[in-house]
Amino acid sequence: MTQEMQFKTIVAQYCKVTPEEMTNSMRFREDLGFSSLDFMSFLGELEDTFDLELEEEDVLKVLTVEEALELLERL
Amino acid sequence: MGILIRDVIEESSRKYAEITAIQWLKKKEVFVRSYSEMMEQVEKVRKGLLAEGFSGKHIALIGTSSAEWIESYLGIITGKTVAVPLDAGLPGEDLVDLINRSDSEALFLGPKNKALLDEILAACPKLEKIWMLQEEAVEGTDKKVASLADLKTASEKTDSDAQRPKADDVATIIFTSGTTGKSKGVMLTQNNLATNVAAVEFTAEPGSVVLSVLPIHHAFCLVMDWLKGFSLGLTLAINDSLLHMVRNMNIFEPSIMLMVPMMIETIYKRLASADPAIPKKMLGTKVFGRNLRIIFTGGAHLDSYYIDKFAEYGVDVLEGYGMSECSPVISSNTPDDHKIGSIGRPLSNVEISFDNGEILVKSSSVMKGYYKMPQETAETLKGGWLHTGDKGYLDEDGFLFINGRVKNLIILSNGENISPEEIENKLALGELVGEVIVTGENNGLTARIYPEQELVEAKGLDEAMIQAELQAFLDQYNKNQPTYRQITGLVVRKHPFIRSATKKIKRQEAMIDEALPTV
Repeated sequence: MTQEMQFKTIVAQYCKVTPEEMTNSMRFREDLGFSSLDFMSFLGELEDTFDLELEEEDVLKVLTVEEALELLERL
Repeated sequence: MGILIRDVIEESSRKYAEITAIQWLKKKEVFVRSYSEMMEQVEKVRKGLLAEGFSGKHIALIGTSSAEWIESYLGIITGKTVAVPLDAGLPGEDLVDLINRSDSEALFLGPKNKALLDEILAACPKLEKIWMLQEEAVEGTDKKVASLADLKTASEKTDSDAQRPKADDVATIIFTSGTTGKSKGVMLTQNNLATNVAAVEFTAEPGSVVLSVLPIHHAFCLVMDWLKGFSLGLTLAINDSLLHMVRNMNIFEPSIMLMVPMMIETIYKRLASADPAIPKKMLGTKVFGRNLRIIFTGGAHLDSYYIDKFAEYGVDVLEGYGMSECSPVISSNTPDDHKIGSIGRPLSNVEISFDNGEILVKSSSVMKGYYKMPQETAETLKGGWLHTGDKGYLDEDGFLFINGRVKNLIILSNGENISPEEIENKLALGELVGEVIVTGENNGLTARIYPEQELVEAKGLDEAMIQAELQAFLDQYNKNQPTYRQITGLVVRKHPFIRSATKKIKRQEAMIDEALPTV
């Protein structure tokens, strides 16, 4: 599984959109229906899955799937 | 007559001296403080405040949960000083307003909020001192700013200790959303808090772990996690970030947690998305840790579906009901006495009555009033009864149920009460915003906006351009707001809102977007 697909599979746990249907321009809160806490919990799962340390200040700026993937790419 | 929080804390520090009171993570290492060690720090803060001349003064706190925060809070309220805990996630201008309106003359500030220093120093003339909630020395030259360690050192200059407060002295002022768009400072006395702690019928073995995940400035967290937990000799573990709530449940292995419904909904998504081949017990341990048995929840409605689902993993979810004005618990289900769908029986110190279906409360835990807001106080406290703004009923077994709201507040499933007017006033400043109404939908806030027609015409904007400009405006607004006040939905209206005869927007008809009939 590619990193992007692995990422989208985790996203899909919190919403009704499948990884295949998910586009990179989708917004977590508005399009995928994430609550603020879903988003935090999802980021915690990302940290565990990809062995990362995220800074709350950085991640709170993330609005779309694409921005989250870019952040993942940078780390 | 009455009880003081100082009585409660001093008794616990004697009875549970060697038990761990607080534990927290720092760079993946667990740190602990026993009850006797915590009490030592609390006394230093209290004596330090006396030595520095703050007796009788109001003292604000801004910061997330930490040993330093809670020791400072207890240092304030066990002496003759009043604690004003504020939401560290609010924008600087809001915090400045609350510091000034609460007449705070000193402030404890968390190191993560250091960026607020200059704004606060410039705009809060009554503040005489700011102590950073850190042991390390503070850099900079402003004489008003020092560290918590400096305050504790000041305590060594004197043998005197602060007098015990009186039971009906105000211990704390907690800000809550007002229906007029201006937040109100709820004044809670020593006896209000201490009798609420005593009246919640729950007990656990001393040393049982509670993982505290709610914001510490909230009455539910402050009184029920911390003060109630300390009264029972429990160990309070601090959740360092909501990012790590599930991870921390595995590190600290709590047996009890307090949550808002949104947290239960999020955790359930993790349970539901797991491979069904994983045995329930194993999955439960992976998500909740080995020991979790009880989750107390309140602040918003919880679908009873989750109560049944969590029971399958051996976790009892017990709903309660309260508001800051009642210190905060009014009723609660307990492990031995509960009914699904109900918010529990009223506490032993609570009397319930109804006025046209609205729940009224009389209790030793009902607030003294709103700070410097006599009109709002008189509207809420009538003849000794507190008007809750919620509609409900008692069933034949004495369990309380809620079935509606009287006041115009949006209650999100994270327990935050949102005053739509407060947000509408800010959004109305957008140049493309003609009319705006904020509604609570899908667990978030939606702004319904009728664009400013003069500007639409002058700029020749089409629908897509209006949508994009308004979304950009909302993104900008969201940047400075705590997550619970962010707008997550935008509806651009084609027609103005329907107005009453007095020209006020009819809020209950905000969803209707039709052309007005021509007269």
